[in-house]
Amino acid sequence: MQPAAVYTRDRCVTGIHGLDEILRGGIPYGSTVLASGTCGSGKTTLGMEFLVRGALAGEACAHFTATEPSVKLLENIRQFEFFDMNMVDTGLINVFDMDVLYSWLGLEKSSFDLDDVHALIKAIVDIVNTIGVTRLVIDSVTTLCYKIKSEQLIRDFLFTLGKKLSTLGCTTILISEITSATENAHWSSFGVEEAIADGIIVMGDVERMGHLLRFLQVVKMRGTSHSRAKHAIELTPIGVMLTPMLKWGAQGDKQGKWGA
Amino acid sequence: MGCLKMFELDQRISEQLTEVALNSSIQVRCGNSNAFMVTASTMVPLMQMFEMGGVYISGSRSAMEMIEAFETIGIDVSNIQFIDLVSSGVLGGTDSTRKNIHYVDSPIMLESILLRALYLLRTTTLERNFVILDSVNALAIYNDDRMLAEYLHTFINTFRQREVLSVILNVPDQTPPLVLSNLDLYCTDLIDRGQVVIH
Repeated sequence: MQPAAVYTRDRCVTGIHGLDEILRGGIPYGSTVLASGTCGSGKTTLGMEFLVRGALAGEACAHFTATEPSVKLLENIRQFEFFDMNMVDTGLINVFDMDVLYSWLGLEKSSFDLDDVHALIKAIVDIVNTIGVTRLVIDSVTTLCYKIKSEQLIRDFLFTLGKKLSTLGCTTILISEITSATENAHWSSFGVEEAIADGIIVMGDVERMGHLLRFLQVVKMRGTSHSRAKHAIELTPIGVMLTPMLKWGAQGDKQGKWGA
Repeated sequence: MGCLKMFELDQRISEQLTEVALNSSIQVRCGNSNAFMVTASTMVPLMQMFEMGGVYISGSRSAMEMIEAFETIGIDVSNIQFIDLVSSGVLGGTDSTRKNIHYVDSPIMLESILLRALYLLRTTTLERNFVILDSVNALAIYNDDRMLAEYLHTFINTFRQREVLSVILNVPDQTPPLVLSNLDLYCTDLIDRGQVVIH
């Protein structure tokens, strides 16, 4: 007897070494994925590689940066051997400073109300629509949401943004800053982003005898089966590289013994 | 390799290495006093007869020291990338300007060592490559037995799948029994030049 055919969603092949394998082919198209991680865990690098790999495949990509100036960001991605400045010159990679966007929209204020949030969503969606962006990174959604004072408004913002981007066929990575990536930690800064997102990728460090080892773990990804194991990562000139983390070494040494 | 005659290589190793499958893994057993000779005797036929290069994971001694030792006996290591696990533990140890030396912070960073080796192998232009792990004993100083056994299992299978020959150096009488028995199980070939130690 032949097994029944299983429906599989079309994928956005990230091109990131090992990640597509973990995701059994890539991120389902149009998903909004939260990439949450502690500082220095490689979130921005992962996001940038996602875009550069997309540009290599001829896709239009956009990056909204709220954590560092676009000039500095572009300097940092020159480390990738597969990055070419022509990607920026030809409009395949588009980097937007959030501060500039706020200025355009007249949103130079400490907190956003409902109208401000809608104006921001409209601006982002208009840019995505106009350029035909299929890969988007917002770095970081934490910095952006600090200006939105109510949890309900944050939820509405992310839900509406995700829905509109998905309708446009845009696969989005929302970078989120968290202070701890251990078992008991939240996977997002405000606790609401993780419920809205279609996927959650957690990044952090495992401490081993005083040394920090970066890891990545796909906690959730709607529309695909995937590995939920911790993977060790290295940031190299050919991109992020992953390998399954050793089972006896994934706990760290807080109790002073392995695999406890 | 003019100086090789002055340094006596173990010819029995090259005789044993007449055929090498890239998806195999060789456990090389040596003693404390003949470790360098056995290592060199294994590398030379791989490089000369099979035109191989690749990655040398240097956990016993610093990469610079190993390179100088190889060059002293006339072995050209320009086709080998060294991953140095020792020098980061010594202030000023990573000052070398050699482009084929890459540093990992500590032998405890087992996954980083594997990923660095994979990265270096992806950047090489050679068709046939090896990865030499020097040595299991050096890793055993820092790592728990179970973790090291698991690592060697992953290590060997990762390179076997990628058609990269893995060569695992090992001093058996200093290797934890769990690790040693697993190594015997995973490796497809054995070069045994271990020395009997009479206490």
